[in-house]
Amino acid sequence: MAAISLLLGTALAGFLAFLAGVFEDSESNAGSASNPNSQVQLAPQIGNRHRYFNKAISGEPPANALWATTAATIAYLLTAHFGGDAFSVLVASIIGAAASTLLLCAYGVLSHISRIASMKNFEQTLYWDSLLTPLPLDAAFGFLTALMLTLLAFSAHSLLGNPFSVPLLAFFFGITIGAIGSSTGDIYYGAERLYQHYIFGSGIPISVQGDIDVKGEYGYRNSVDTPYFTMRFGGLVTGLAFGILIFLDAWSRLFTFAGVWTSVIVVSVLVLIILIFIYLLEVYTRKRYGRYTED
Amino acid sequence: MVDPLIATIMIIAGGVLVGVCVHFIPASATGAMAAATGIATGPSMLSAGAGLTGIYAAAYSIDSGLALVIVSGAVGSALMLLITILCGNIMLAFGIGAPPVSGQTASGKSTFGGTKDIITGFEQEGYASPGTDGHGMPFQTAVSGGFGALMGGAGGALVFYAVYSMTLPAISTENVVTLAGIVAAGVFLINSVLPAYVLVGKTEGMFDMKIRSMHRTFISCLVTSSIVACVIYAVCELAVSEVIV
Repeated sequence: MAAISLLLGTALAGFLAFLAGVFEDSESNAGSASNPNSQVQLAPQIGNRHRYFNKAISGEPPANALWATTAATIAYLLTAHFGGDAFSVLVASIIGAAASTLLLCAYGVLSHISRIASMKNFEQTLYWDSLLTPLPLDAAFGFLTALMLTLLAFSAHSLLGNPFSVPLLAFFFGITIGAIGSSTGDIYYGAERLYQHYIFGSGIPISVQGDIDVKGEYGYRNSVDTPYFTMRFGGLVTGLAFGILIFLDAWSRLFTFAGVWTSVIVVSVLVLIILIFIYLLEVYTRKRYGRYTED
Repeated sequence: MVDPLIATIMIIAGGVLVGVCVHFIPASATGAMAAATGIATGPSMLSAGAGLTGIYAAAYSIDSGLALVIVSGAVGSALMLLITILCGNIMLAFGIGAPPVSGQTASGKSTFGGTKDIITGFEQEGYASPGTDGHGMPFQTAVSGGFGALMGGAGGALVFYAVYSMTLPAISTENVVTLAGIVAAGVFLINSVLPAYVLVGKTEGMFDMKIRSMHRTFISCLVTSSIVACVIYAVCELAVSEVIV
């Protein structure tokens, strides 16, 4: 029974982590949160009036930790009161995630208004459509992220047997997914989506930073289109990173060939394999793209 | 279980390890625009993400002794960081269309001099996009990051186990693990933020000249961790002697 629970937990945790990664990156991009926010903030200063939803409440890791911990604490209290079967956990997690989404909406609205207001000297206008149109989308992704992380915390606690309490696990997952999301998905938003009018195949020179796309395929670019674009690659890779991490960590505990040290040995081997992949990818890109030339 | 005084020293040592590890983890906020070498986020928050993953992994082995807890934390943290580096490089290679390159090495300002990757021997000069300070994580910085994550994860796990040992006599087992996790996460966050004042948002790990300023981080983390460890020791002693529970 314990083995089945562990197997089920490993698969479920990996899947939930993958979905959480996809939604987290989309939430971050819909709100221009995290590192590329600097570009959206810089744009009016060099004369680019934009219609992006500019919501950066804090760095991605603490923000996600706040949403996930709020949701998981409420869900945990509800399950402690009403019972802890699978259906109760699901309903309690939905209620918890909904409460944390209200918090996200409140902070998001205030953050956007105050950030845009601070650009008044550079003639940036506070467009209501750029706030009210992406807000439900951003809130939906925020809700799904908080829900997935809460369910993941319950899975890690109940099925995988982690001794930490559910809210603390949600806090840890929130910090980790924020760190992964801002390290992987952000590159696609910050260096590709915001700068599509620059040629593909190059980083963004520091001298042109802030010169973001303000016009899209049809009319002014807005933050609703952004996750539609980034989810096809940036979101998937973010989800892959967090999903693989949680899956491999749980998977390493399925074996018992070296007693209590088994998981450490398996993870060490995995670390070496990942290093080999990093090396092979570097060899591939150097051959594929080569040096930059004068033209 | 360890003696409370030794546990206090373990908290100080763990805190210093956490602070020092940030110097080894390549990170840069402008990396999100592929404008600088390093993982595309602030060094402090990235280290926190890696370290907390280490503590999460270490918690599974809390009943198996100090050595296993430390090693589990270290490898768990390294796994998180290397997966992030791999996926960051995948994003750079296929989303941006550029190879990973060290900006500091390409301009000959690396710690060890020269313009080649010190491990693979790959030439770095000419591979950085014009106007940028490199992008992605070339192999030498990935190794540096892995080394830093091992240190950070071990440091976090050390603090975790020390607090667990100190509070176990006073509180029931299921609560003490969570309490130790909260305190370890707190100590980790304090010490991982301190190096930000030396690194000012960007480092390429051990191949960046900023590694030479590590003594400042060491001293500041030593002082901070000592104060934090004394407070934890005092609170735990009061809890064990049932003055506060």
